This record gives sequence, structure tokens and C-alpha cells, in this order.
Amino acid sequence: MIKLKSLSKSFGEIEAVKNLCFEVNKGEILGLLGENGAGKTTTLRMLATMLKPTSGTAEMGGYDIVKDAEKVRSIIGILFGGETGLYDRLTVAENIAYFAELNDMPKYEIKRRVEHLAEIFGMKEYINLRASKLSKGMKQKAAFARAIVHDPEIMLFDEPTSGLDVGAIRDVHDFIRTCKDEGKTIIFSSHSMSEVEKLCDRIAVIHKGALVDIGAIEELKNKYGNENLEEIFLGLVGGKNEF
Amino acid sequence: MNFKYVWIVLKKELKDIIRDKKTILSNILIPIILMPVLFSVMGGGIKKLEKDMSENITVAVSEKSNDENVKKILQDEIFAQNQNIVLQGVVKDPVEAVRNGEVRFVVEVEPDFEQKLKQGKPFEINFIYNHSDTKANGSFQILMQAVEQYKQKVIMQRLQAQGIDPEILQPVVVKQTNAADEKKSGNMMLMMILPLLVAIIIASGGIPAATDLVAGERERGTFEPLLTTRPDRMSILLGKYFAVTLFSFVGLISQFTGMFIAVKMNPQIMGFGASGEMGGIYIPLPALLLSILILAALGMVFAGIQLALSTYAKSFKEAQTYMSFLIFAAMVPAYATMMMQPEDFQTFMFAIPLLNAIASFKTILGNVINYTNLFIALASSVGYVIISLIFSASLFNKEKVLFRS
Repeated sequence: MIKLKSLSKSFGEIEAVKNLCFEVNKGEILGLLGENGAGKTTTLRMLATMLKPTSGTAEMGGYDIVKDAEKVRSIIGILFGGETGLYDRLTVAENIAYFAELNDMPKYEIKRRVEHLAEIFGMKEYINLRASKLSKGMKQKAAFARAIVHDPEIMLFDEPTSGLDVGAIRDVHDFIRTCKDEGKTIIFSSHSMSEVEKLCDRIAVIHKGALVDIGAIEELKNKYGNENLEEIFLGLVGGKNEF
Repeated sequence: MNFKYVWIVLKKELKDIIRDKKTILSNILIPIILMPVLFSVMGGGIKKLEKDMSENITVAVSEKSNDENVKKILQDEIFAQNQNIVLQGVVKDPVEAVRNGEVRFVVEVEPDFEQKLKQGKPFEINFIYNHSDTKANGSFQILMQAVEQYKQKVIMQRLQAQGIDPEILQPVVVKQTNAADEKKSGNMMLMMILPLLVAIIIASGGIPAATDLVAGERERGTFEPLLTTRPDRMSILLGKYFAVTLFSFVGLISQFTGMFIAVKMNPQIMGFGASGEMGGIYIPLPALLLSILILAALGMVFAGIQLALSTYAKSFKEAQTYMSFLIFAAMVPAYATMMMQPEDFQTFMFAIPLLNAIASFKTILGNVINYTNLFIALASSVGYVIISLIFSASLFNKEKVLFRS
């Protein structure tokens, strides 16, 4: 489970994230919805311990992101949008194994896990090919495998579908659903209403770093008396949008 | 920090670098191949230049001196001992003939030289040649030797004619004894060139790896996932740091391998233009070990700075620009001390970064070994390694630097 406790981050004068307080239950997908620059990436970077909060903190699976940063990193998996972030000169297996090693998995376990992931993601044919030789779709699958090689209990997705074509987007969605089926706790940041509506149990709308509202999709629709999530979102962030 | 993670990162980085054909080609293969090729071309050029200087020295007489007696004294007396000096015709315009390269020298002899010779008076010989021509300058020395021999011969004849012992012209006989350490003079060229080369190679050797390992990773999007793995940043940084250090040493070794092959193939290249020839290197074992340690420390200092610059740079290209400044910074002390003799280095110089390694290297090669100075160099180098690492680590831990774009 994830618990944000007055999580805040400033970069000089700019308050990128203001006093965020919410929880994500075990096995739940929470959609983090906001415009570009709303503070989604900064929030996820703090939860992943890449950035230190200016004030407040968060608990990830019971570990504090400031005090137990290393333990937090050992139970999270991350998938970013845009570049898949694979090492081109390493094979798919080596890419996955490198992250497994860094996450303290024993050697015999790594081999077994890589084989298993190659099987479930259909990567057997190219598991020993260098990443530079792969298509974008193949790289995407390798990045999925790498993100979950250490079987993390929490997954953070930062706009994972940005810049992808329809087929690749569907693969990402399927992957997120698989993670949910495995009981992982998920935060999924996006600015696409349709995918948030399709995947998330609850959504948290943030605007200029602050939490505007949080709740289950149906709950929000009833609350604002509108079936259109996009209109609800625009109403919450002041009508200006970048969609 | 956990050394297990340092080792994992180091192993991966080395595997990654070894598979990068571009880096292997530029840092390992090209130096090994290029140095011998370059030295062969240079050696060939030097050989040809030496040959051109000493063979077929063409000398013409000016129209003013177009006289059989002039030609006779030149051919039968002055140039008689030098088969490679060729007397070649008459030219109307000496300056033009030299400039056009028709002949290398034009000679003019005073018209009344025979009379003056008989009277025991000096006569004038004027050599017209292009002073900016390297070959002509070299050949002129040979002409001067010929003239000098002729002068000696005439002096002897004159003294003997007057019944005077020629020894009267030699009140003092000068003898020279070389007090220099033979080992030292043998390393003269090495003393000049090696410290310069080492400083530049060490400053530049780790650049491809350092640029790729942080700025490159960030640009390719592999950096953020790496930061979300279990190891702390110091472990990641150290893994990368050792990879850069190791790679800069591999670069240095390949440069030296290339140079060794080149010198073996063209031994004359090191001796050219120097009084001492290149001889064997005689370095006592403790001094050799100290020099290796000082060199290793210098490599580590540069690796730290290179990683810091790579961390600070917003992009791969920006990192490359910063790195080129680093090479210039290394070149300044390297060139400034190129002509310095091992005895010229003062103790404080062994505590100045980079200069300490150059000074140590020079004094060791010059066999002017002062172990106190070497230990000062080593201790200060270790200090600079720590400072460069702290600098690098502080940037690596700075969010503003790490995530700036």
C-alpha cells in the first residue's frame, strides 16, 4: 500500500508538488491525472526516491521514502513513457538480468526468472539479441520484463503510453492489467482520460502541484453530475487544457 | 555504499564499453595502428630530408665568377673531398636561380682571389641560398665544413712555408669529458616527450567512457530506471568511476604499445634533432612502482572530473564540449614543463595537481630521483583523487544537476 503524507516538493521558488495526501490500497490502480507540468512526474520521482521531498513524506509498502529509500527501491518497479531505456549493446536477457542483479536477486533465481519472463512476454526468439536490433514493440516488452524482474509489489507508471502507436498502447494496457491481476499496487500517471477511465479503480486529479479531488470514477461522475470524465477534469482544473 | 553493487555496475559498464566498436576503435585499435604508421611516415620523411641535405648539393657559379680558375679552385680544392657537392654550370641571376630551385647554392668568388691567396690575404666567397629552406640550411653546414677544411689546409701550407710549427696556433687544446649520467642522457628524448604524452593521454583516455556513462545514459533514457534500482547513488557512481579509470588506462597502454612498436620500427625518429639518442630506460624498482601509483592516481583524478562534467552536462554533446576543455587544461602544464630539466623542479611543484605527476615522471626518467618529492606527489595525488570524487559525488547527488534538462 502507498500512503502520501503531506508530500511537497519545491524547486527554488517554484512549488512543484503541494502537500499531497492520499492512499493507494494494495492491488488497486490509482490514476494520477493532470496537465503537463501539474507535478505528476515529480510526485512519482519522489515515490521512487529519485527526488527528496522538501517536506512531508510517503510510505511505500510500509517503508518511508526518506528514511528507508533503499528498501523502497527494492519493492518498486517503474516504467517511463517515451524511451524504453534499454542498453543497446546488451542483449535483452542481459538487460533484464542487470536489473535483477541490482535488485539483489541470486544468480540461479535470475536465470529462472529471465526464462519465465521471456516465456510470458513471448520474447524467446529474441531474448539473446542485442537491444539495438529490436523493433520498438520488442523493446517495449523487454522494458516490461525488466521493470518486474524482481517481482515488485508496487508499480509506478509515468505516462507509459506517450509517443506509442495503438498496438503498443494496447500492450502497455495489458501489462498494467497483468500487474493488477498479480496483486500489485499501481500508480499510473496520464493525461489521457480514456485510458485512465479504462484502467483505473480510482483517480487523483492534480493541478499546479495540488490535489484537486480523488475518488472512484463512478463516484466522481455522481458527485459532479456528469458522465463525461473529460468535462469533469476540465471543470476541476479551471477549464484550460492542453489536450 | 555497497561494493557488491559497485562490482555489478562496473562489470556491466565494462561489458558495454567493450561492445562499443566506435570506442574500441578510437581508443585501442587506432593508437596501436596509427602510431607506427605515423612514425613510419615521419621516419621516412626524416630519412629523405637527411638524404636530400647531404646528397647532390648543387652549386652553380654566378656569371660574375664565371672563370676557369674559380671553377678549378672550387672543384679541385674546396669541394675536392666532398663527392656529394656538384658544381653545376653558370647562372645569370643567382637569386632567381635559387628561388626557382634550379640550384641549391650559387657561389661568387672575388675576382682577384688568386692574387690575394698569393699575398697571404683573405679573399671572399659568397654563398647565395634560400635561408628559409630547411634542406639548403642543412646543406650549408656541409659546404662550411668543406670551406673550413680548405682554410686549415692553406694555413698549414703558409706556416710550413715560413718554417713555423702549426702548433703555434693551438696554445690550448680543449678536451671534453661528459659528466652526465649515461642513463640520464639516454632518456633525454623520453624525458621531454613522455610526460607530455602521458598527461594528454590520461586526460583524454577516459573521455569516451565518461561521456557515455552519464550524459549518454541520460540521453538514451537508461539513467532514470537505473536510479530506481536498489543501490545507492555512490555505489552506482563508483562502478562507473572505476570503469572510466580502467578504460583510460587501457587507452594509455594501447598508446604506449603503438609508440613502442613505432619506435622499434623507426628508432631514428626519437634521436632526430637531439644530442642524446634514445637508450634503454633505467628506473629503480621503487621509483617505477611510485610512478605507476602516481600515474594511477592522476587517471583517477581525471576520471572523477570527467564523470562530474558528464553529470553536469545537459546532453552528450555538451559533455563532449566540456571534456575538450579538460584536455586543454592538461596541455598547459604539460607544454610549460616540456623543456624543463629534472633538476629544475622544486619541491612545491610535486604538490600541484598534474604538475606533480609530470615532475615525478620527468625526474624518474632523468634518474634524478628524490623519494621525498615522489612521496609528496603520491600523497597530494591521493588527496586530489578524494577531492575529485567528492566533487563528482556531490554533483551526482544533486537533484538540480541530475534532472536538469
